[in-house]
Amino acid sequence: MLLVLAAMTAWAVPGSAAVTAPSAHRLAAPAAAHQATPACDPTASSLRPTGPPQVTPGSFMAKIRARGYLIAGVSQSTYPFGFFNPLDGSTEGFDIDMVHAIAKAIFGNPNKIEFKAISDDQRIPEVQSGGVDIVAHTMTILCKRLRYVDFSSVYFDAGAQVLVLKNSRAKSLADLGGKKVCATAGSDSIAHIKAAPSHPIPVVVTNFTDCLVLLQQGDVAAISTDNAILAGLATQDPWTEIVGPVFTSEPYGLAISKQHPDFVRFVNAVLQQMRTDGQWAADYRHWVGTPVPAPPRAQYKA
Amino acid sequence: MTVIEDPARSALRSYVRPSTTPAKLRLLLVGLVVLCLAWGGVAAWIVNQRASGANDVASTSETLSLDGQKIYRALSDADATADSTFLSGGLAPINGPPRYQTDIAQAAAHLESATAAAGHSAAAANLATLSAGLPVYTGEVQTARADYRLGLPLGAAYLREASALMRGKLLPAARNISAQANVQLAGASGRATGLPLALVLLVAAVIVGFALYRAQRWLYQRTRRRLNPGLVVASVAGVISVLWLVIALGVARADLLQAGAHGSTPVAALAQADTAALQARADESLTLIDAQGDDNFQQDFVAVQHRLGPGPGTLLTNAITAARGSPGAGPAAAAASAAATWYSVHREVRFLDDNGKHTQAILLVTRPGPGHSGTLFTRLDGSLTSAIAADQIVFRRHAVAGSDAFTGLEVGVIVLALIMAAGCARGLITRLAEYR
Repeated sequence: MLLVLAAMTAWAVPGSAAVTAPSAHRLAAPAAAHQATPACDPTASSLRPTGPPQVTPGSFMAKIRARGYLIAGVSQSTYPFGFFNPLDGSTEGFDIDMVHAIAKAIFGNPNKIEFKAISDDQRIPEVQSGGVDIVAHTMTILCKRLRYVDFSSVYFDAGAQVLVLKNSRAKSLADLGGKKVCATAGSDSIAHIKAAPSHPIPVVVTNFTDCLVLLQQGDVAAISTDNAILAGLATQDPWTEIVGPVFTSEPYGLAISKQHPDFVRFVNAVLQQMRTDGQWAADYRHWVGTPVPAPPRAQYKA
Repeated sequence: MTVIEDPARSALRSYVRPSTTPAKLRLLLVGLVVLCLAWGGVAAWIVNQRASGANDVASTSETLSLDGQKIYRALSDADATADSTFLSGGLAPINGPPRYQTDIAQAAAHLESATAAAGHSAAAANLATLSAGLPVYTGEVQTARADYRLGLPLGAAYLREASALMRGKLLPAARNISAQANVQLAGASGRATGLPLALVLLVAAVIVGFALYRAQRWLYQRTRRRLNPGLVVASVAGVISVLWLVIALGVARADLLQAGAHGSTPVAALAQADTAALQARADESLTLIDAQGDDNFQQDFVAVQHRLGPGPGTLLTNAITAARGSPGAGPAAAAASAAATWYSVHREVRFLDDNGKHTQAILLVTRPGPGHSGTLFTRLDGSLTSAIAADQIVFRRHAVAGSDAFTGLEVGVIVLALIMAAGCARGLITRLAEYR
């Protein structure tokens, strides 16, 4: 029922604007031209670390340490990035391991974390309100998001594709005109679906696993989002497959409040360490699999 | 009353128009026999109406209302159990799945008896919704559990969908059944205790009594005989049937009003409060398991809390007022204080969860222990349940007594009317024979 309501809400707000507006925010140059911000390169928008991660007195890290735990906004349903493991009730995944590394750098203990499960559309509000210290939630660094929050350097490179049932004839969004295609509220994917020239019908739900339920029940024809998330869904249902070309670039970053540039630099130092000491590769191999690519190169604006 | 006497008198006069005494006697004979039989018919019909109303009160409507409440309780508990199984992680807690199975079995059993009791009443559509939706719900929960067994996060999505079906469609249908049954109960109770039919009966009795009196007076003046045995028998039978009617209807009415005031009315109010409490408890668990960042469930909790009370105009306070003077009054008052304590622990749960202490919040909700949310809710729910059970006994006792008051009355009234008619016939035929 909730899902149906969500879907109806999606139809009630047809993307008339989205159809005409280009889905350009993915591509750096047009997005910059589109927005008031002067030059914006999502992949080179973060702050340079000042050396190895260090908890300096008076810093935001010191405050977190005094509190005794790091509060991280994560997904509990995005296998293999952030998901609830029903076997032991823990939260796990590639995103989660990033948070463990940060907790280890602050406390010397990777488990001093309180995970707060949030939905896609809660990511920016939670960071802004200080409800969480950091968001690790398959979150693409976008220029429009950079206006509200800061991001770490890129820690994962994803790109949008399409997931269909194995007996489907559709190979991309172009084949899905007039068909229902599912994505989550607050995700970038819903904008891509609305902007597709073939005019698929966007169906909005809370989590991507909700999309898979709808796909299994025959209520939607496809799911479109980042291939990393789609691969996680395909793992859970061997009767689905990822099809078509990668049609966007989705660099993932960890979101942090603009009020804590010291924490952004600290997190970037942790990520840099992970890139060089093999931890990133180990996490990638564990959650995503082989072959393990080179870690995304860190670029900074300052 | 004189308004009615006059036409009666004039009617009698017009029948007694014939000039010869035998002719007058014959007419009187026919008139009295018809009047006695008509009286028997009217009285039996009215008794039948009241008895069937009383019977509906005691059996159908109350069964349906209680079944609706029990279906709601079982389904709500099944939903909360299924959800908390996921919430606690690990292999499902030992009391998890069996409790879910018991809940579903109970819901199905009550659904069946409610469907039998409902017939074609207004509740039938809601029962059909439940019958169709329950297998869909259990199917989705099974899928969730199969995914859970495989360790797939997809299971949680199926569980959410199942829960949305439960809360969006099935639980409202169960709530409606009780509401519709309560309307039906009020209707049946009205039929069994309403005054208009009793007035009709009274008027009929007065007419018959007056006719018998006038007939005997006329005979006395005509024949100079003190008593006509036949008419005396008819009069005595009439008096007996009127006395029986007055006593039975009076007793039944008093009992049924008592059953309403100290039985079904507080039970309905308490059941409403319990339904709201169950809903709030499910909200409390779902806020934690859902944990999507959207606070729909918490918003619902707050809304339900405002409805539940205690406080002026709230369900709990209404239930306490309704239960005043009934055995449910004590537990109802205990429920109100339990609710207040529960809310304060709920605030603690929310504080923990909002401050990143999700794990501690979950423990406070799911683990048993003194001062834990589950313990306090159980106290609230238990108080309401025992208040409902206590007032239910009052209801049942009075409703059955009210219904029993009609035992034999319908047949009795008919037999007595026949005796009256026979008495009149016998008495007047004896007089007529004297003219041959």
